[in-house]
Amino acid sequence: MIRVENVWKSFDEQPVLKDISLTFERGKTNLIIGKSGSGKTVLMKCLVGLLEADRGRIVYGDLDFSAMGYRQRRVIRKELGMLFQGAALFDSMSVTDNVMFPLSMFTTMSRKEKEMRAAFCLERVNLHGADHLQPSELSGGMKKRVAIARAISISPKYLFCDEPNSGLDPPTAILIDKLISEITEEFNITTVVNTHDMNSVMEIGDKVVYIYLGELWWVGSRHEILHTGNKELNDFVYATELMRTLKK
Amino acid sequence: MLHTLILIAKLIRESALFALTSIVANKLRTVLTLLGITIGIFAIISVFSVVDSLERQIRESISALGDNVVYIQKWPWTFDTDLQWWQYANRPSPRLRELEEVQRRTGSVEAAAFLASTRRRVEYLTTSVESVSIAGVSADYDQVRNFSLHSGRYFSQTESSAGRNAIILGYDLAENLFPNTDPIGRSVKLFGHNMTVIGVFEKEGLGGFGDTHDDSAVIPIQTLAQFINVDQDRYGPFIMAKPHPGITNAELIDDLTGVMRSIRRLPPVAENNFSLNETSLLTEGFDELFAIITLAGWIIGGFSILVGGFGIANIMFVSVRERTSIIGIQKALGAKNYFILWQFLFEAVLLSLIGGIVGLLLVFGGTAIVVSVFEIDFLLSASNILLGVNVSIVIGLVAGFLPSWSASRMDPVVAIRSTA
Repeated sequence: MIRVENVWKSFDEQPVLKDISLTFERGKTNLIIGKSGSGKTVLMKCLVGLLEADRGRIVYGDLDFSAMGYRQRRVIRKELGMLFQGAALFDSMSVTDNVMFPLSMFTTMSRKEKEMRAAFCLERVNLHGADHLQPSELSGGMKKRVAIARAISISPKYLFCDEPNSGLDPPTAILIDKLISEITEEFNITTVVNTHDMNSVMEIGDKVVYIYLGELWWVGSRHEILHTGNKELNDFVYATELMRTLKK
Repeated sequence: MLHTLILIAKLIRESALFALTSIVANKLRTVLTLLGITIGIFAIISVFSVVDSLERQIRESISALGDNVVYIQKWPWTFDTDLQWWQYANRPSPRLRELEEVQRRTGSVEAAAFLASTRRRVEYLTTSVESVSIAGVSADYDQVRNFSLHSGRYFSQTESSAGRNAIILGYDLAENLFPNTDPIGRSVKLFGHNMTVIGVFEKEGLGGFGDTHDDSAVIPIQTLAQFINVDQDRYGPFIMAKPHPGITNAELIDDLTGVMRSIRRLPPVAENNFSLNETSLLTEGFDELFAIITLAGWIIGGFSILVGGFGIANIMFVSVRERTSIIGIQKALGAKNYFILWQFLFEAVLLSLIGGIVGLLLVFGGTAIVVSVFEIDFLLSASNILLGVNVSIVIGLVAGFLPSWSASRMDPVVAIRSTA
């Protein structure tokens, strides 16, 4: 579980996050949604420590992440899996080597042990047999799955996904979303997904957080989001013709 | 502690693998970057190898001449600025009878020999070699000059004192005159007389002073004296004197100076009309020369290496810029600053080292060609290889540090943003 308590963040005295307080629950897929520039990416970076909040606290379990120094944070960093937008694989490394990278950084596992772990993770994302391939030989969906395997290789307690299905066709995007959701439940991970894709919301949104102009505007589940009377949220949810037609 | 060391070792290994992959992925760029270092190492190590080889040859030659032997000659090896050249020219040359006086009157001399030389044709049956250097030497020549005989023997006391027609041939001369025959006991014609070959010198190669026996022949001085006036200036006569063990060159020179002045009856106010030359004077001169050549090698090669170093630094900055996103992802996935630092530093050192090794290979190839074509003893020594490798590593470290440091200090947020 991650608790966000009264977090503020500004750039050049322009507030980007305003007094955000919420909880991301364990074993659930938590989605942060919002328009571009709403502050959802800044919130995500504050969560993983890539940006420091000006005020407020971020608490992992019982550990106050905001109050920790660099060395102390490393303990929590070992428990964070990260899935970057665009997969962000190392092009010069094979699929296996990509998956093994976090293990090399955080553990003293032998090569054999790392390979076994990588093989397990690749198997889990249905990429058995692709271990020797280079990223250039993979499709967009396969790259995302390798990135998920890399993210879960260190058996994280927390998984952060930044726009996990951007650039993918709808069926593949849904597959990736489902994979994230399955892994979250299977390994009892606290997963935070940053997205603006309503398909993802409807598919895997156990808990949905809507950020509007840097403020926490709405919190609920995917089942509730279609029936809220909140105007700003409805503008976001029913922004497409498809959604408006479905609503009618 | 052990756990930390293992982790560090593993991270360094991972860094090295990243660096290696990058080098392999950019082959053309790597080759172009290496050129500066290659040329620099080639220049420096070539010069050093030449200097070392020359120095070794000269020292071997000096050793062959006898590094404690003093030469009594008309001309000095280093000129005294107080005297004019014509004052040297007017001096008398050492004479054969002066050798006997030196041997008799000096207490410090263990052995002394007289040598005069000319050039003549040497014939064997229908084969002849023109303009062979013929040296007439006195009996103790074998005690003051280091040499080995390939076959046969040195002159006996009788042959030397009686001026018998005996001759010792240089190795190459013997090969030319007797291509398929053992020359020992056979007669060659010199000065129109038959001379019996009693020995052949061991092959000596080209000495630093060109003082090899290979193309020459040696006969007893009394034999040579039957055909020419060995005291004449034109035959370059000189006396070599070697001290008893424990006698320093300075003591020997003092002794020889007194005896020679006495032999030549020089009044106390008169300048010496002879020179006492030491081989150490030669080495001192060469030491200075080699120091200058070495310095020149450092300067010439240093500039090339400097340019190469800038090339590496430049390409490393480009590499850091290109891989900004990767640096960001690595950091986000747990890579520490020193992992990134090592990664780029390793790449820079590897680049520089490859350049240096290619340079060393070129020197090695060059030496092999020189040795096979010119038959000169030219060697790429282990110390020079080590120097080349060390210089390469240091240049790689220096050139790569700033780009690597800037990469390691990169803000992961900024770095990752470059991917988005």
